[in-house]
Parts: sequence; C-alpha cells; structure tokens
Amino acid sequence: MKKYGMIIDVAKCTGCNNCFLACKDENAGEAHEGYTAEQPIRFQNWIHVNEIERGTFPKVKLSCVPVTCSHCDNPRCMSQAKDGAVYKRPDGIVIIDPEKAKGQKEIVNTCPYRVIYWNEELQLPQKCDMCAHLLDKGYEVPRCVEMCPTGALLFGDLNDPESEISKVMAEQKPESRHPEYQLHERVLYLNNPKTFISGTVVYKDDDMCVSGATATLKRDGKVEQTYVTNAFGDFWFDGLDSKTDYEITIELDGYRTIEAKTRTYASVNMGDLFLEKA
Amino acid sequence: MSNNENKEFTTFKSTGYSAFCNGSHIAAVDVKDGKIIRIHPFRYDWKYSADQINPWKIEARGKVLEAPKKTSCGPMGISWKKSIYSPNRILYPIKRVDWDPNGERHPETRGISGYERISWDEALDIIESEIRRIVATYGSWAIYAQGDGHGETKMVHGPHGCMFKLLELLGGATIQIRNADSWEGWYWGTKHFWGGEPFGLMPNCSNLYTDVSKHSEMLLFEGCDPCTTTRGFCSGDQISRFCLFWRDIGINVIYICPDLNYGAAVFADKWIPILPNTDSALHLAIAYQWLINGTYDQEYLDTHSVGFDKFADYVLGKEDGVPKTPEWASPKCGVPTRLIKALAKEWARKRTSVVHGFGGPYIRGPYSHEVARIEGCVLGMQGLGKPGQHSLAINNRAVFGSEDHPVAPPTPCSIMHEPHQLNVRAAYTGYNPFPWLGLPKQCIPEPLIHDAILKGHFEIYGSSLQVTPACEQFIKYTYPAPGCSRIHMMWSDTPCLLTCWNDSNRTAEAFRHESIEFILVQHPRMENDCLFADIVLPVNTKFEEDDIGDDRESAAFDLVYLEDKCIEPLGESKSDYEIVCAVAERLGLLEEYTDGESIPQKIRKGFDQSGVPELGLCTWEEFREKGYYVVPTDPEWEKYLPGLYEFYLDPSKYPLETPSGLLEYESIGLKQYFPDDKERPPVPHWVESSEFHDERIGSERAKTYPLLVVSNHPRHRTHANMDDNDWFHEIITCKVRGDDGYLYEPMWLHPSEAEKRGIKDGDICTVFNERGGVLVGAKVWERIMPGVIYVDHGSRADYIVPGKLDRGGAINLITPHHTTSKNCAGMVCSGFLADVEKTDMDALRAKYPEVFNRPYNKDSGLVFERVIVKK
Repeated sequence: MKKYGMIIDVAKCTGCNNCFLACKDENAGEAHEGYTAEQPIRFQNWIHVNEIERGTFPKVKLSCVPVTCSHCDNPRCMSQAKDGAVYKRPDGIVIIDPEKAKGQKEIVNTCPYRVIYWNEELQLPQKCDMCAHLLDKGYEVPRCVEMCPTGALLFGDLNDPESEISKVMAEQKPESRHPEYQLHERVLYLNNPKTFISGTVVYKDDDMCVSGATATLKRDGKVEQTYVTNAFGDFWFDGLDSKTDYEITIELDGYRTIEAKTRTYASVNMGDLFLEKA
Repeated sequence: MSNNENKEFTTFKSTGYSAFCNGSHIAAVDVKDGKIIRIHPFRYDWKYSADQINPWKIEARGKVLEAPKKTSCGPMGISWKKSIYSPNRILYPIKRVDWDPNGERHPETRGISGYERISWDEALDIIESEIRRIVATYGSWAIYAQGDGHGETKMVHGPHGCMFKLLELLGGATIQIRNADSWEGWYWGTKHFWGGEPFGLMPNCSNLYTDVSKHSEMLLFEGCDPCTTTRGFCSGDQISRFCLFWRDIGINVIYICPDLNYGAAVFADKWIPILPNTDSALHLAIAYQWLINGTYDQEYLDTHSVGFDKFADYVLGKEDGVPKTPEWASPKCGVPTRLIKALAKEWARKRTSVVHGFGGPYIRGPYSHEVARIEGCVLGMQGLGKPGQHSLAINNRAVFGSEDHPVAPPTPCSIMHEPHQLNVRAAYTGYNPFPWLGLPKQCIPEPLIHDAILKGHFEIYGSSLQVTPACEQFIKYTYPAPGCSRIHMMWSDTPCLLTCWNDSNRTAEAFRHESIEFILVQHPRMENDCLFADIVLPVNTKFEEDDIGDDRESAAFDLVYLEDKCIEPLGESKSDYEIVCAVAERLGLLEEYTDGESIPQKIRKGFDQSGVPELGLCTWEEFREKGYYVVPTDPEWEKYLPGLYEFYLDPSKYPLETPSGLLEYESIGLKQYFPDDKERPPVPHWVESSEFHDERIGSERAKTYPLLVVSNHPRHRTHANMDDNDWFHEIITCKVRGDDGYLYEPMWLHPSEAEKRGIKDGDICTVFNERGGVLVGAKVWERIMPGVIYVDHGSRADYIVPGKLDRGGAINLITPHHTTSKNCAGMVCSGFLADVEKTDMDALRAKYPEVFNRPYNKDSGLVFERVIVKK
C-alpha cells in the first residue's frame, strides 16, 4: 500500500503560482465524481502561495510559502464531521465526501490551517484531495506538483524507501509548520521562514564596509550562531525564535568589540554598526 | 483537419506569447467532447525514448544539472481556459455608432462613443470600400499596418501582420517598424562598442550557461528578475532551474535593482537597491575605483580595445573636471558610497558575469544606450571573454550565425541550430520581422506614431528595425517618405499602443486626429486601442484553430508539434489569417494572398520545410501520429566555445563586428557620424539631462515630481495579454481589489514614502505628472526602495477622461514623449519622474458617474458589453 506525502521546500519556491493555477485548471468549475464537487471561481484556493516579508529595507527577505491541506494522520476535520463525511483513504489522502458533507459548515472551522473553504452555493465544505481522481487513474503526482518548475513541491510514496521523498524525509528532516497542533501532517516543510537578525558593520574612521569581522549571536549567554561579515559588511542570523532576547557581539582584532541586545518581536534590521579602533 | 465533437484526445499548443514565429511554453491539452479539460506540461520522453532525444546534462563543481524531463508551460499557459472564455472576448463584428463612412466620421469621439453590432458582410462591405477609396484618393501608402509581436504565437493563423502581404499586393503600405523594444540599450548602444549584430547583445551566446556554471564566481543580476520577466514568453520557468543550480554550486549572486524582485528574494546573496535608470553612475564609479587602484586588466585593453584612454580621462575627470567617484555617483543612484567601493573590490577580485532579462537598466529608460555601453566598458576592463566573464542574456536564445561561423544557443544545443535551425516558418502567414531584403518605402517606428499623426512629419536617423546593422543608424529617414502620403487609415492586429508604448496619452490624442479617417482593429478582446477603432473584428484564440508550431526557446529541447483545434470558434470569431483572407477575397486577391494553399496544405508545408524530414529525422506520418517531435541534443554540443572566448584568445583572428574589430571605448562610427551628439557621444557618458529628457532626481522637475517610476515586464501578464484572467486576480500580488470592487493595478511604495503622503496599503492612489494621471492600488511594503514608484506595464487602459486620467493602471499613458535620445528612435517608458497621491474617489465618482457605472465583472474586470450601445 502506498502512503502519500508531500514536502514543500520554501527555499526553492519562486512564488510563480503555477501550483495554484494548476489546481484551478483541474478543479475550477470541474466536478470529479466520487471525489470532489466543482471548485468555485473565487475564494477557494485549495493550494495558494503566501508571501512572507521579513525585515526592513534594505535588509528584507521575502519567502513564498505554498499552503494546502496537510492530509493529517490525525485530522480534526475527520474527527468532527458527522456521518463519516470526511474520510482518510488507506493511502493517507483525506477526502471530504461531497454528498455526505452537504450542509456541514462547521467542518470549515475544524482546520487550524484554514484550508477548508465553504461553498455557499452548494452548501459544501471543500478542500484539496491531492488530485486523487488522477492518482487513481495512474497519474504519478497531483497537478500542482506536476507544474512546479523548481522541485519546491516534492510528492511521493513514504512507504517506498527508495522514493525521493523518503530520502529527503530521512536526510533533511522536514517540519510541521505547527507541531503544537499535533495533527501529524503528511505535508511538511523545509526552510519555513523564521525571524532573523541582520546588520552591517562599518569602519567608523573611513566609512568602509568591514569584511571578516566575527559576529556572534548569543541567547542567555550561550553562543547560538557565528557569522563572518561578508564583503559588504553584512551579517545574517536566520532561523531564530520570535519574541526572544538575543545578544550580538562584533569582534575584529585591533577594534573595540561591539555589544548589542535586541528582541525578536519581528525580524530585526540593526542597521549600521560602527567599529572604532581600540 | 480535426472534428472534435464527441471524442477525447490530447493535442499540443504553444501557450507562450513568444514572438513572431517561434513558440514557447508547449503544453499538452486534454480535450473531451468539444471541451478543454486540462492544460498541462508533458514529458519529452512521452513518445520517444531517452536514446532518441539524448538528454543533456551540465556538470560543474561536482554537481549535475540535467535537462528538464517535462515542458514548462508556465503560469500564462496553464491559465488559458479563463482567457478563452473571458467576458471581454469580442464575439461579433462591431462598428462605432457615430462613425459614418458615408457621412460624418467624428474622429473626436473615438474612445468615448459606443458600438453597434454589424454582420460580417456589412463589416467587409465597409472595409472593402474604405480600402478602395483610400488607395484611390491617397495611394496605398496612406494605409498604416500595425502587426507587432507578443500576441499569441501562431503559424498559419499568425496574429502578427497577416495584412502586410495583402497590402503589399495592393501596392505597399506604411508599416509600423518592429524596433528593438526591450533591448534598446544594446541596439543603439553596445553595437557601437562590441558589435553583436544584429541585436547588439554580446556577440556569440553559445554555451554561456555552461561556462558561467563552470567558471563564474559572482553573478550580477542587473535589473533582472529571472522569475518574472521571461515567464510569459521565451524560456520561462526553465531559467529558475538554472538559478537554483547556480545557488547550489555556490556562485555568489547579487541583485542590483530598485525592487526586491522574486529572483532576488529566492536566489540572491545580496540585494543592492539602486534608483531606476541610474546604473551608469554606479558603473562609472566602479570604473573610477579600478582606475585609481589599478585593479583592472590594462594588458587586455591594450590588445582588445580602442579609445580606452579617452574613457579613462572621462572617468577620472580629466575631460570635464568631474571625477566619477563613488561620492559623485551615490546621490545620483542611491547606492551608498561604501557599497560602491565594496562592490568594485569584489568585482575586481572575482570572475564575474552580468545577467540580464527583459528588464533592467539597458532598456526603456532615457539614454539607455549609455547605460548599456558603460556596462560594456566596465566588463571590458576585467577582460570580457575570459572564462566566466560575460554578459549573459537569459531572456532568449537569440542566435544568429552564418555558414562560416555557426553559433549555438546559450543552453546545450540540438542537432538543428544555426545555420540549419529548426523552423516551420514555411507555414507562417504573418509579417516577417526579419526582412533581410530591405525596408518598405515608408515606415513608422512605434515610439513615433503620435508625432507622425499629430505633427504629420518627423526626421530620424536609422529606421530602428530590430535587425538592421549598426551602419544603418547613420541613414536619415523622413516621414512622409518621398512620394508617399501621410497615413489616413490604421489597420491593427496588435492594439496595445496605449498600455505598451511611450507617452500614449498623446497616442490617444492621435487616434482622434482628423487626418485618421478609418481605424480598423482585429483582436480577441475589447481592450486598449480597440476602444478607439471604428470597426472591430472578432479574432479567435489558438485553441479554436488547427496549426503547427516549433519551439527553440525552452532552454530544454527543440520541438516541433501539431496544434489541433480543441473547440469551435466562440461567437462569430475568425483567425487573423481568415479575416485577411475574407478581405482579400473582396479585393479579388484571395488566390495571390493564399498562394492557392489551404490551411492543411500550409501546415504540411511547414513541416516539410522545417528541416526535420530533410534530415531524415521524422516522417510526416510518424509526426502526425505522435503529434510532436523532439530534436535530439547534439552529441558534440560542448564544442561550441562560449561568448567572446575566441576574441579573448586572439582578437586579430576573431575580430568583433565593430569598425576596428575591437571593443570601442570611443566609437569610430559615432565619432564619424555624430561627433557632437551630447546624448550619445563617441565616448559613453552619464547624461544628466538634455533637450529630450529631464528625468533625474537632481532635476528642477524632481521638486514637483520627486519619485522615479520603474516599470517592468509584468509578473501576471505578458505585456497586455491575460490582464482579464480571473485566476490571476486571485493571486494577492496581481491586482489590488478596491473597496469599490474594481481591480486596480498594484503600485509598490516604500512605507516611508507612503507615510509622507498619507497612503495606506490597499488605498486607491493616482500616479501623476504633467502628462496625466493613472489610478493604482497601493502595495506598501519594504521590498521597494524609498524614492521609487513601481508599476508594471500592460494593464488595460480604462479611461475616465481620455488622454488625461485612467482607472485601469496603464502606466505607459504618462511615460515620456521623446525617444531614447535624439538620434535613437527607441522607446522610453521606465525611469521617469512622477508623484503619487491618495485619490478622492467620492469626488471622482460624483464627477464621472457614467464611467463608474459601466458594466464590470468583479472577477475578470472589463467586459465586452460595456461598449455595446446597439445590439
């Protein structure tokens, strides 16, 4: 038996929206009997790309994060639906039965990821079904994955140890976006954006960029990351926890050490930090 | 060829908006019972074995990039269903109600008056009699034919200038010249530096991707977004795979552009924001740093260039007393001096290539030729042509070789490339944009159409035709040409002047000029210039036609494929070719126009003369059965030396196409013909302002209009195409839905600039200057530089007051009037001054209730019925 899953690598997503558009092409206005009712033109984005902007000019980062149904192994939509209106197939795909789910608006609110949509006209909750109607006909991947130009969406059989997805799962340890929900998602993420701290180190005397200074990031006095400033004097500490106090030191032989503190309410652009001769 | 009722089949379509006659973004289209089920990429090896197609791979620095396994049909391709059934499709012929060919023509109400439905017979009656009347009264040259690139890419049904051949048969018409729009800087500038005929790009793009992968240590993406600017045409999403590979193998990637674009967001190690169209200031300061520090290759320059000392004198201030220091450049370009110095140091230290797409500093700004030439000069100082040191254009695979010196594309080539390139052009019926045999008697470059009509004359140097050699830029042309009338009728199949060209508020004025007696437009959708036409004819999409196509643009494999009809034509629409056939029949020229060939015969001819059967690669029968053929990769693809490598090795044996055969820091041609040109002097300069342009932040004008507009190729359209697509409108960055439900074109603004003006994210605002105003929806965020307004071109014009105020966000309406410079008839539509303010929508609604009450579809936008006043 196959066990389908997907890994989304945010570092490879260019925000092209091909996944979103492929889903529209497959499902908008098209019912797939036994699987899904037709997707309306607007307000139902079974997969969509969130743009997450972090930092401030010019230390800005943009991440494109495709979001879709996670086909959880512990799906709240299924446990809270009546009459078995939501079911999980042996291959792991979670499907909303378009007949049985009629009128069950409360299913929409069971999903903490907000990827179930209400179809007012059909009085039906709807969501992604991983193109089960195509997989059952022999398609290897859902439409969104087929259209992804960079491999940011990786789909496959988790029961096959030789599949690419199984290898990436073992080697790169993709994460749930919200492990605290305890949903045991089948759609996991690599390089999901977290907060960063960045700044530029400058020589105070001649206003040149400082290349080769050592920037150290500490939390509660313990070193978490170090970064040697690049040709433009920049340092970047990424993958940090939010709402956390951090200390930063900048060191270079012959210069006074800079010490600074900041709290990651959001990503932090510390601006220019000036090194003075010791 | 195909009767598709009640059957299920898969055919192929080139879904990109590539150009005149080469397809891109090839999709498989599943059709069932006369309905399109899905549009999707397909595997190249679907019907062929890997042995047959011989997939390439690039090995560099211990990693391998394999050829894509599937086609890339991109966001535009996959969204075709919505565009086919757009509520803005023109479904029957229409005539402007207050245009009477036998009485009052009312040119002054074009753009205002509504339309009535007429039959094809009535339409053809009028067209026939108008053509006969105009030819008899003024001569055939009074008919102006506009058939430009970037509509759908078709062959037999070519939407680009099908009427040209018919007008030739009538004696010849005035043609709108297909100019070097999108690479103005190279065409008017670097041709005089490094040759590179005919387009002016760095000569010989063979295997550049491979060489960069193997040797470059740093890539500078100059105003280039590989994730946006190529996605509707050319190589599309395949370029993202190369960018990903370059990141994975550890090449240092730097983006220099006003906006944190999508390529920069995903691939950049460093974003260096720069004010629009000021890159030449940055580059001059880099040259200055290298000169004072001696960190450039003087030995290379001694043997590979002429006039470098003059350039050095200019940079060091010996010529004009102004050294081009980082301190000089910084206030002009907005890059901090320390960053300029750091970049100069890195560039001198690392093997560096610059990367361009369709966008960036060398195109579409005032004096773009200087931007391009100065960048070339800087590249030359480090030894252009050394391994890993190139100017790489990722936008296309434009290759021109000769029998003596075959040139391969930048990606691994197939066994069919220059001079035996795959093409099915024998099936093509449109305008040939490569008229090697000479120019028509009378031409109008696109950027001068308003002057031609409103002033009735112009004088220019160079026809501006995209493929003429540099020496043609010294020939003077006048309009009207000797023996020709000025134009009195316009016939267009590419009605997008308003949203794609320069100062198009003046173009709207020109459309209403009394000298223009008849405007005929054929187009699928009721948008832009259609709204000024007297008769509009309905054109169908390629999904409603049988055709054939080829693809040499995909950066993967060369393909030839059959495009079968998927659905019946909508309404009374016909293809562009069928429309011209109908007119030709009325004029008694059908046999001559079609060469006596039916459409299936033309398709067959396209394949027979494509080179594929001649080389014994595939028979018609096999091709017909499989529907496509993949040309295998040349087993010896790596033998083609990259870029200017041979020139670098031996400039006397492998000279450039410049007069000296060397890099010309002082152009011999420009010195001979335009020694006193202050905008394009023999040695390239930073031009602050001139008689033609005054668009710098240091200018007096900037006190009134303090922001610089950057206008790129759009992310969710290809030029004016697909602006009506509901699905795109669901993407948050595509449009800004106003509180009135209208879809406004996004305008990016930094929070600091927004705060000064009381603008909040999502507000409806007006971008304005002396040339008019354009309504936009504010996107206030950090990924745009302060001092800059960003609005893509191509949004559909939706005039509130024709010629003055637009609701649709067609930013080109307020772009500069003049051409690139006095002696260069290129277009200027980015890098210009404007300001933005929050719009008082209540006041506008009260003042123009009729505009705000027009029928409108809240999903797709403008609708066809809005213009129909009589059915």
